[in-house]
Amino acid sequence: MILRLVVRTAALAVAATAVVFAATELLPGDAGQLRTPGRASAEDIARERERLGLDRPAAVRYLDWLYGVVRGDLGRSLSGGRPVAALFAERLPATAVLAAAALAVTALLTAAALGVTYLRGGRGGSAATGLAAVPQPVHAAVLGAVFAGLLGWLPAVSLLPPGASPLTEPEVLVLPALTLALPSAAFATALLRGALGDALRRPHVTDARLRGLPAPLVLRRHVLPFLYVPALQVTALLAGGLVAGTALVETVFGYPGTGQLLVSAVAVRDVPVVQAAALLPAVVLLLGMLLADLAAHRTASAPHATRGTSTAVPQNAGGSL
Amino acid sequence: MTQPSFPHAPASRRSVLTALAALAVLPLSACSSSDGSAASAESSASAAPADGGTLRYAATGSPATASDDPHGGLGNESDILRFALVYDVLTLPGEDGGTRPRLATSWKPNETLDRWTFTLRKDARFTDGTRVRAADVLYSLRRIADKAAENYGRLADFDLDGSTAPDEHTVVLATRTPMADAPRALESVSFVVPEGTEDFSRPVPGSGPYKVEGTSSRTSVLTRNDDWWGKRPHLDRIEIQAVADPQARANAVVSGQADVAGSVSPAAVKSAGTSARTQVVRREGVTEYPFVMRLDTEPFDDPRVREAFRLAADRKALVDTVYLGYGRIANDLPTPYDPSTPKDLPQRTRDVEKARRLLAEAGHEDGLSVTLHTTTSYPGMDTAATLYAQQLADIGVEAEVKVEPADTYWTAVYAKKAFYTGYYGGISFTDLTRVGLLSDSPTNETAWRSDTFDDGFDRAMATADDTERQELLAGIQKELWEDGGYVVWGTGDGLDLAAPGVRGLPDGPGFQRMFIDQVWLDR
Repeated sequence: MILRLVVRTAALAVAATAVVFAATELLPGDAGQLRTPGRASAEDIARERERLGLDRPAAVRYLDWLYGVVRGDLGRSLSGGRPVAALFAERLPATAVLAAAALAVTALLTAAALGVTYLRGGRGGSAATGLAAVPQPVHAAVLGAVFAGLLGWLPAVSLLPPGASPLTEPEVLVLPALTLALPSAAFATALLRGALGDALRRPHVTDARLRGLPAPLVLRRHVLPFLYVPALQVTALLAGGLVAGTALVETVFGYPGTGQLLVSAVAVRDVPVVQAAALLPAVVLLLGMLLADLAAHRTASAPHATRGTSTAVPQNAGGSL
Repeated sequence: MTQPSFPHAPASRRSVLTALAALAVLPLSACSSSDGSAASAESSASAAPADGGTLRYAATGSPATASDDPHGGLGNESDILRFALVYDVLTLPGEDGGTRPRLATSWKPNETLDRWTFTLRKDARFTDGTRVRAADVLYSLRRIADKAAENYGRLADFDLDGSTAPDEHTVVLATRTPMADAPRALESVSFVVPEGTEDFSRPVPGSGPYKVEGTSSRTSVLTRNDDWWGKRPHLDRIEIQAVADPQARANAVVSGQADVAGSVSPAAVKSAGTSARTQVVRREGVTEYPFVMRLDTEPFDDPRVREAFRLAADRKALVDTVYLGYGRIANDLPTPYDPSTPKDLPQRTRDVEKARRLLAEAGHEDGLSVTLHTTTSYPGMDTAATLYAQQLADIGVEAEVKVEPADTYWTAVYAKKAFYTGYYGGISFTDLTRVGLLSDSPTNETAWRSDTFDDGFDRAMATADDTERQELLAGIQKELWEDGGYVVWGTGDGLDLAAPGVRGLPDGPGFQRMFIDQVWLDR
């Protein structure tokens, strides 16, 4: 069972990179061509393609890349010639810190929203649904206008001075993290509200209430165990989504993470960089899902909460992040 | 994605050659005292420059196009800025449009203007202590030429195999054809590295005013090179940040996180303009979005159609809408800022009646449908096309605006489609002619093929006398004004945003803005 889950995770990760590779392949133009506009002759372009190895068939290039990844070699950037691993090493810490901060804020906001729902007996929550429907750029613009423009509490852009890290300049994290967390929290609340409602409608919860047990105790003993697995699954989805979805906030706030690297690499068809940038969130998401599944597996085989996974979150829900 | 942002500056009205002649007769001592550092526009001439401080510069740049190689594609302004401070170049664009000496102190052509002797400074040293020799210069120029495919054939008009270094401080550069403006072609981008340098992944010794303390795809920290031969720079440190989004760059200055934001959009300047916390540096004639018509494709093969399309343009409305007023109207000549621009041509103005009549004469009395391609590579390109399409409707032309992806526009649309929105970033008339207006030009985007034009250009390039040459160049532009494939409605200013205390930012043409070694902070 566990082995099957691990194999499935690895297979999905490979499949994800194949899809990204194919999608990049479908875009018009390649790195050789886009690097050589202006006065380059057809021979110049052909030579550049050969130098970059772009004259080989797509399948060969993909398998070559995959073989490299298995050996721990992410290849070199087609446009700058730098090792892809080094490019990521420069920017990954910033994105990881941002995603972690956003995830923490998401968890707090979601818990608060669900707490309100619980106290209102499972009703309400349309505000969360509404917030989830607002596009991310609007969140960014409104938050920026209020906190940086109107109030002047926070920096309008999140540039990191040379040598600084987001940990030494935590104030630059606030706007990007909030921009990411608001829609994520709304999304998580919308998903988990169903699970909470289901749990609250269970006979033993009603029974516990009728017996006069205090609300916090009912929550801890009779409701939370049913939310444990769905919450883990939602967290896994969100973690993958947050790592993959930082491109917009990084651009708007000038925050130097991997999202900007991905966007600019797509623009110049820098396939090795795009592939690595796609691999990262795929792996985070899949590992998260794997952990959630393993947890569910453990919970399910435990004698007490046999129906713990009954309100599993739709697996494809991450697409809306 | 960047399209050729040709680095060349308009030459001065004052003759390049006159300046050369003057330099040639100057005694050597006078030459070496001449300060070859970047000319700067003093925003406030009153105070004496103060030394010290750190300048934080947010420049255009995205991580995937970041490069350490000064001879390649130069996709990021953040990288060019670093190269301009760390390496020496042979010549610089001057304040008045003329070519100024830097590593090259003087130059002299042969009779036929196809062999140029450049004399180099003797006191330039790389940061590792070795002298800068002619061999280093020749090696660097050859390396640029070898990378022609990446750098738009920047030195394609030089024959570097036929060029030599007769002694330690002299290079003799051969050009493929007579080339009266050769010193200008070397301005700004002729970055000199030690001979044999191939690996740029580690900092390479330069001979410029600053040296690299640390660099990544996101930031560079430069410190003053106290052993530089030129006028001592004022700033101790320059921190360069690559920021892709123009609004984020502008915000960085407004909120005090950067001192300078390079190349921001007119909209960003307008929104920051009300603030007392910023100053605006305007560089004239930097952006141009001409509408390009191919003469070998219907309906633009008919000169009456081209004339009608030019008469349809409401130039002031376009400048006001696209550049938000930070620009000026133009007269269908692709390089209106160039000193060779003819002065005696009447300004074309909007004439709907005449345009309709011309279209009817050309057989389009029942209207005409065309597709106008555009993209979002540079701010306002799409706005320009949309507004012009509305203006064309007034003369009975139905223009469908097609906004193409910026990634592939310069390979799939530029110099290929019959009617599209182009871009020029301050290219000189002679450069534009070589790349796009001669019968055998590699990207002849208007399919302009004229024997009288070709002959006139060759004659001009073989003419040593500057006034005479500019007259010849002005003459062939009249033909272009009459009959060419360009609708040039205006040029926009290059715009930089800076904190109030920043002084001496260059506001000259082309890449001159990158040479910020004499900037200082007034605190």
